[in-house]
Order: sequence, then C-alpha cells, then structure tokens
Amino acid sequence: MSEAGAKAAVRSAQDELYQEAAGTYGPALERLAHAYEADPDIRRDLLQEIHIALWRSFASFDGRCSLRTWIYRVAHNAATSHVIRQRRAKGQGLIGLEEMENLPDATSGQETADRNQALARLMELIQRLKPLDRQVILSYLEGLDAASIGEITGLSARYVSTKIYRIKEILTRRFNAGGRHDE
Amino acid sequence: MMNESPKNNLQEIWQCQPVEGIKMSVEEIHGRATKFEKKIWWRNFREYAAGAIAIVVLGFSFASSHDVLSRTAFALLIAGMAYVFYQLHRQGQAKNVPAAMGLEYSLHFYRNELERQRDLAASVWTWYLGPFVPGLLISMIAAMLHATHLRHVAAVAFWYALIAAFFIFAWRLNVRAARCLQRMIDDLQAAESSQ
Repeated sequence: MSEAGAKAAVRSAQDELYQEAAGTYGPALERLAHAYEADPDIRRDLLQEIHIALWRSFASFDGRCSLRTWIYRVAHNAATSHVIRQRRAKGQGLIGLEEMENLPDATSGQETADRNQALARLMELIQRLKPLDRQVILSYLEGLDAASIGEITGLSARYVSTKIYRIKEILTRRFNAGGRHDE
Repeated sequence: MMNESPKNNLQEIWQCQPVEGIKMSVEEIHGRATKFEKKIWWRNFREYAAGAIAIVVLGFSFASSHDVLSRTAFALLIAGMAYVFYQLHRQGQAKNVPAAMGLEYSLHFYRNELERQRDLAASVWTWYLGPFVPGLLISMIAAMLHATHLRHVAAVAFWYALIAAFFIFAWRLNVRAARCLQRMIDDLQAAESSQ
C-alpha cells in the first residue's frame, strides 16, 4: 500500500472510531465538560477541544485498553489541562474531598427535594474539586466501577473503592435526603 | 452500557441532566483540527516575529553605538533575547496537547503537567530573567560612565533599580508558584504511595 493509501486508511479508522465515540459518549462528554467548566461559552470551547483531542488520539488507538477507558482518559486529560490553564489565569484554589466535607453549606440540613437544585449543588461542589478527586467522583456518577476508574486514572481499584466509599458518605451527608441518594 | 451497578439517586440525577446534545460531524472535526493547527502555527509565527523585531531593534542600537561598552551591552542583550525566545519555542512545543494522551493514565498526565510547570517556574531565573542580566549590567555601567553630572547618575540608578525590582518580583512570584505546584505534586504522590 502506498504511503498516501496507508494515511487514508488510518484517517478512515480514526473517523470511524470518532463517530462511534461521539455517538455513544457524546452526552457523557458534555456532562464531563460541564463539571470542569462553569462558564457556558468557555465550556463549549472545552467540549470542542475534547472532541478534537479525541479525534486526534484515535490515530494512535491500538486497542490496548477498551474504547471507553481511552475516551475517558483523553477527555479527563484534556479537561485537566484546561483546569491547570484556567487555574493559573484566575488564580483560584481547588479543594480535595476531605476539604469538601468541611465546606459550609447554606442548605445543609434541609431536604434537597428539587432535582435541579440538587444537580446545581452537586455541580458546584464538583467544580471546586482537585482534578484527581473530580475524575473519581465524575466516573462514579457516570456509573463506572472501581476497576474501570482505576484503568482511567492509574489508581488501584482498592484505593478507588475507598475513595468512592468516602464520596458516597460525603454526598449522602451533604445532600441529606434521608438515605435516598444511596439506596 | 455505561452503568455497571444499579443507579442510586445522585447518579440518576447526574446522568439524566439535560445536555445540549452538541454534535460534530467528522467533516467539522477535520475543519476544526486544521483550524487548531493553523492557530498554533500563527502563535509560533507571532512569537518568532516578536523575537525578530526585538533583535532587529537591538541590532540597530548595536550598529549605531560607537563605544565598546555599549556595543558589548547590546550584543549581550541580543544573545539573551535569542536564548529566551529559543526557550519559549521549546516550551511552546512541549505545551501542545499530545495526540496520544489516551495512552497515559490521568494521574500520570496530571502529575507530568504539574512537574513541567513547576520546573519552569522554579528555573525562571536561568531561562527567562538571568539571560538579560549581563547585558543590563553592562548597559547600566555604560550609562553611568556617560552621565555628565550627578542628576544623570541618580536617574540611571533609579531606572535600573526599577528593573531590578521587577526582576526580583517576577522571580519571587515564580518561586511561590513552584512551591504551590510542589504541594500539589506531593498530594498526588501521597495518593500514589497510599495505594
């Protein structure tokens, strides 16, 4: 096969993988972008950046990990780069899970009956987290298990399990809905 | 496909949140990727152009000055400027998002990014501020020697003191940033070692 033909074949595989990824994980990528960027305009740019990073990355996808793991790694890595850039520009501090537990909460102790309100509060909390904790919590909210989160982050499944346990504990306490959130 | 365990309430709220449903066709992605590459090209071009203009201006000053000390100062400033622009170019290349970022665990990617920024901030003196110092020192001496009376000497001393203050301020700011980044790296290393 000529060099041009080989290039075209790689590009075609890249396009196919991208279409599959965007079709299956498009909404999850949007939620991820939302968790990393509060400003709607900048968020759209970030989402675009993630999509481009994904498409570019598929040129070197060799099936060593699952497509899902690859997509989340690329998305989190692109979003983390964004957080580092923004953090330097805005000079804002990020917190860890432990500090999240101690954050003052105006509505603490009240039932969070409204889903939109719960979502807004959850989003606000996540947007303040350090990238690694944010990656774990987001993956947990997307329904991934500890082993899958470990494959994305490089943390051991055991460590992730402990983190998830803490996350559930903190969220249940902060959202205080009589155990509804962790049935 | 996405869910591997029964959803709890927060997971459900999270996954059912309204999204805009932004979709990009492959053609759009190709177009945007090309645009992105062009943007990087223009960014590099602007940096080189700025460097070239600064060097031409200093070169002109070098050519029009007649005493050895001033010429030495301008030559050193040109060399310093060229070195700084070379370093900016190198760092700009490292800063571009790698295409194969799916191969890297997010923990490692994050730590590598922090380490890269820490090293840049910690070494700001050697790659950004320091290269200008010899040229500035010689130019200050030349200006002092050319000063005809005390008022001129005081004015020269004042301006160079301002430059020195700016250098010290920039250096301290970067040292502080490097310390802050180091704390973040330590946190990540603690997470890795506690596994």
